[in-house]
Amino acid sequence: MSGAFLRLLEVTKRFDERFVIERVSLELREGEAMALLGPSGCGKTTVLRLIAGLETPDHGEIWIGGEQVAAKGRNTVPPRGRNIGFVFQDLALWPHLTVAGNLDFVLQSQRWERRTRRDRVDEALRMVHMSPHADKYPSQLSGGEQQRVAIARALVARSQLLLLDEPLSNLDSDLKSALLEELSVLQRRLNLTTLYVTHDETEAMSFADSIVRMKNGQIVEIVASNQAKLNASAKPILMTCEE
Amino acid sequence: MFVVSLTDAAGSLTLNNYRQLLTEPRQRALMLTSVVLGVGAAIFATVLGAPLGLVFARARLPAKRFLRIALIVPLVIPPYIMALAWVLLTGPVGLFARAAGRDFLSDWTYSLTGAIVVLGLTFYPLSMLATEAAARRVDARLEESALLAASPRRVFWRITLPLIGPTVAAAGLIVFVLALSEFGVPALLRVRVFTTEAFTAFAAFYDFGAGVALCAPLLVVALIVSVVIKFIIGERLLVTTRSMRLGLPLIFNRPLRAAILLGIAVVICASSLLPIAALLFEATRINRIASAVSTSGTAIANSLWLAFAGATLIVALAAVLGYGRARARSRLRVLFDPAFILLFAAPSTVVGIGIIGLWNREGLMGQVYSSQWVIVVTYIARFAPVAALMLAASVRQISTSSEEAAEVAGASWTHTFGRIVLPQLHTALMAAWVVSFIFCFGELGATILVAPPGESTLPVRVYTLIANTPSSEVASLALMQVGITIVPLILLTVFLPKKGARKPA
Repeated sequence: MSGAFLRLLEVTKRFDERFVIERVSLELREGEAMALLGPSGCGKTTVLRLIAGLETPDHGEIWIGGEQVAAKGRNTVPPRGRNIGFVFQDLALWPHLTVAGNLDFVLQSQRWERRTRRDRVDEALRMVHMSPHADKYPSQLSGGEQQRVAIARALVARSQLLLLDEPLSNLDSDLKSALLEELSVLQRRLNLTTLYVTHDETEAMSFADSIVRMKNGQIVEIVASNQAKLNASAKPILMTCEE
Repeated sequence: MFVVSLTDAAGSLTLNNYRQLLTEPRQRALMLTSVVLGVGAAIFATVLGAPLGLVFARARLPAKRFLRIALIVPLVIPPYIMALAWVLLTGPVGLFARAAGRDFLSDWTYSLTGAIVVLGLTFYPLSMLATEAAARRVDARLEESALLAASPRRVFWRITLPLIGPTVAAAGLIVFVLALSEFGVPALLRVRVFTTEAFTAFAAFYDFGAGVALCAPLLVVALIVSVVIKFIIGERLLVTTRSMRLGLPLIFNRPLRAAILLGIAVVICASSLLPIAALLFEATRINRIASAVSTSGTAIANSLWLAFAGATLIVALAAVLGYGRARARSRLRVLFDPAFILLFAAPSTVVGIGIIGLWNREGLMGQVYSSQWVIVVTYIARFAPVAALMLAASVRQISTSSEEAAEVAGASWTHTFGRIVLPQLHTALMAAWVVSFIFCFGELGATILVAPPGESTLPVRVYTLIANTPSSEVASLALMQVGITIVPLILLTVFLPKKGARKPA
């Protein structure tokens, strides 16, 4: 096995006989930030859902942290066993739980001890500057604040792999830039292996070490971003383009 | 049930029951009366309910919320009580006959027309609510783009109505099946239809085979209608979202608006105020309320307890069934809705006979059969499907990513269901419980067949007292039944959170 933290090998996914993802292969080193860029419907989100285990690949293999999690048309490790942080496009904050409750649910599900849970929730909320809002419900927060909570929830269990599905798409440009900067700082500080789905090229360039362009379910181009030029230590070690 | 219908008294295989069904003129007459009753009630309910639904979806009206609740009231009054109230109003010694000094309406009351009117007045809220929901669902952009080329009137007839038409038709079909399946109203108004004949064959002559054979046409019709409804409205059965913007408003001039309000007042009077007033008048004429409570106390307590237990178990089962229906990926899901509709639309007499056939045997099932719990089982069989459909529609409102986020976070399915799905369904669960309680509390047709000796519910008590007890005592009990049924509806309306309400900090 190579030293990649995340590895997709010839992964294919069909819905109703239509190829959504076709023979996609890519690898991410630990701590690397990669952006998946492409128009709507090109299969970006499906790639994230396959990595998270929310979809089952028809062919190919998926490896996370040296462990095979999907192969031969089935998921060998369920989503809850993959230790992944996921920020959904619609954020998917649980409306009936408070901000702290949203984070605590993750830790409780992973059987963290009660005392450790409280400390960890506080720490995650501090990271995204949301400590004063711990007892509020999602509906009482602004769009940017909800975004921070979703990020904190993805980080709270100290997952090493962070998947972001167009997390900033509903924000205005000023807020988007500010949050993107914060996210970038967090990603580097926590050395998170991150896959960031977006259709905004500027966003991709400013956040990621490398950019993978997708079209019609296939990878068509791999480029190093501006960020990658600044941070020479983090480069993609393998990506293939299947035509 | 089916096997029993194919055997004779000696246990030999025979098609005799079905041959009689098809060849005897009496059976053909029964079929004709049953169908006319169903079609008549469906047309009456649609003619009354569909325009009201359209008005409530698109027009500005004063006290709209209050008027809507008043118009929905008949849906929670058990149909047989509605029939009883109309007998007290227009029967040979009813209020109108006493006021006029002669009986001029009882021929009409005890007739097929009377049954059609009573059932139409009971079920029109179904058509109203379905039409209102459909009219609210129409995407405003569809009408706006048509307005660029056509007049509002033409847009209404050519765009709006065709879009809501299938739902109106489906609601009409549901009323048709419910009317066809109704036992209490035709039994009280002396209209002979399949349900009353099946009841007589079973309860009076203990002829299980004939009873089942008499139910067969009803089941076939219910099955066909369930499939047709699913075909007409498809996944819209579970869609409760409203369009972002409301479509073409209905704007009325002042005289027309006044006429519409007057029409609404007349409907409210005929469908709930007059019947309730008739019961109230009869109950207080000779004050029998205290004696009614004392002689029927056990039946009242039984009804409350059994409806409570039934509604609670129904909601628990329906939450799982509804979730399964909403999230099912299997191709078999297309069968779920017709099955749910069929189970709900199956005549109460059929369900009662079926429960007896299934549970009347040795062992644990027999113990349940000989206890009160068989009534709870009956409630579950009759009303769990409709509660499941209600909850399935609400599960659809919860974003799947909400559950996926929990799954990725490490939560098991049961943890996700208990901590993420159910809390988001609390309003729907509450509504489903209240609706189930109301249905259970008013159930008559199946309970009267399955209730073990010595165990009675309020509806069964009222029905059996009608023939040989002073009408004032029966009216008191019926009034109690209506009162207990309306209270949870009012509580639900008052305490139901308004849309967009925020949780407290």
